[in-house]
Amino acid sequence: MTFLTGPSGAGKSTLLKLAYLALRPTAGRVSMFGVDTSRLTRKDLAPLRRRIGVVFQEFRLLDHLSAYENVALPLRVLGQHERSYRDDVIELLRWVGLGDRLEARPATLSGGEKQRVAIARAVVGKPDLIIADEPTGNVDEEMGERLFRLFRELNKRLNTTVLIATHDLALVRKARTDVLRLADGMVVRVPAPAEPPPASGQGPAQ
Amino acid sequence: MKPSLAPLLPKEDAREAALFFVVCALCFLACLSGLVARSAYSAADEWTNRVTGQITIRVKGDDAAVTRAVQLVKTMPDIVSARALDRAESEELLKPWLGATGVPADLPLPHLIAAEATPAAANSGGMGQRISLTLQEARVDAIVDDHIVWSKDIKRATDSGGLIALVAVGLLGAIGVSVIAFATHATLLARRDIVELLHLSGAKDNFISSLFEQRFLMLGVQAGALGALLAFGAAAFILFVVKQSDQQIWLLPQLSLSLADGLILGLSPLISGIAAMIAAKVTVMRSLSDMV
Repeated sequence: MTFLTGPSGAGKSTLLKLAYLALRPTAGRVSMFGVDTSRLTRKDLAPLRRRIGVVFQEFRLLDHLSAYENVALPLRVLGQHERSYRDDVIELLRWVGLGDRLEARPATLSGGEKQRVAIARAVVGKPDLIIADEPTGNVDEEMGERLFRLFRELNKRLNTTVLIATHDLALVRKARTDVLRLADGMVVRVPAPAEPPPASGQGPAQ
Repeated sequence: MKPSLAPLLPKEDAREAALFFVVCALCFLACLSGLVARSAYSAADEWTNRVTGQITIRVKGDDAAVTRAVQLVKTMPDIVSARALDRAESEELLKPWLGATGVPADLPLPHLIAAEATPAAANSGGMGQRISLTLQEARVDAIVDDHIVWSKDIKRATDSGGLIALVAVGLLGAIGVSVIAFATHATLLARRDIVELLHLSGAKDNFISSLFEQRFLMLGVQAGALGALLAFGAAAFILFVVKQSDQQIWLLPQLSLSLADGLILGLSPLISGIAAMIAAKVTVMRSLSDMV
């Protein structure tokens, strides 16, 4: 798990967009999973995107779909039949603490619940990389910590690389993990803060 | 518990209701134009078949000259039949000019012979001239009319009517496709959040496009079916009114609601749906190609 920090306007979101292939470099080279993305055709980008789960700051849930349907979206895109993933999606929603909100529309969910649905959607396709852009930006401190524990568990449980862009330095200090700092167009690795992480054993969304 | 899956594109909104109305109206007009085009071509064919090979000979002289002329024409090659018209038949021909009250008994009527040539001979032309020459050589004074000149004019007129109706069908189709393309583009812009999310989730362009294609195929078929149904109703009403008034307008195309008309009405929803689907696909694929 790695944090990406930097002052506002430093280009964190742009860097993430390059990473989750919403943008392509006009100059230089972006390599994802060992593949130079600038050399790929549009058609070739789709399979690469499926290896990346994205948690957007503004959630980007589809209002006309239920929590269950929002989470299942990446699997529908793959053309999988609902029978093949129904139990997994329900189990995933239970795991993020939304087992009783399967049919809820995003409009009826709180900020933290929406973010958990967004996280479940990013994870459901078992991606190789999870990118989260300011995942705690729209939730209170307590929910922010719960979401962070969720990401940490994802990282451990699925052995998935997690890249989180945040300006929440308190969260970064608690994480005691790799930090990339973006400033003046340069990415610099900084040592992990010394403060210990939160106590383990707590469920991610209880 | 079995959560059901909602469509990835939200259900219709007011924009699509308006589009439904426009496609329905266009399909209605296209169906009517199609029916008119078919009946115009059908009228042209009917007139051509009715007139081609028919030759009218007006004999100046007495009954003996008429009998002689009939015998001469009958023996000519490429002539199927020839017979003299009696007074009643001649009076029937004069009815449009002299009215239904009848022709005065003392009014002399022209001696007419109705002859029919084989279609091949009639189409090759010159049949009237050959008959004229034959009668001239036999010293029978007669005027021969093979109707070629005016039948060609009528066919040209009915063909033009059919062509105009076909152009109208084409124009309405083009307008329909343009309207659907415009509506697809508007829907695409309104649903950009969904399109982007699907795109970033790794959906292929064809997958995203298929969502719009299915939506607009259904819209095109349903609106087209309603338009065709209304056109059927309108045609049936026109037929009913014409039959009630017992007025047959010669030379003008007559609606009939035949099997061919049924085919036009039946295929319209399908064509409308396919056109809508293709318009949606082209628009979506073009828009998606602008995305990374």
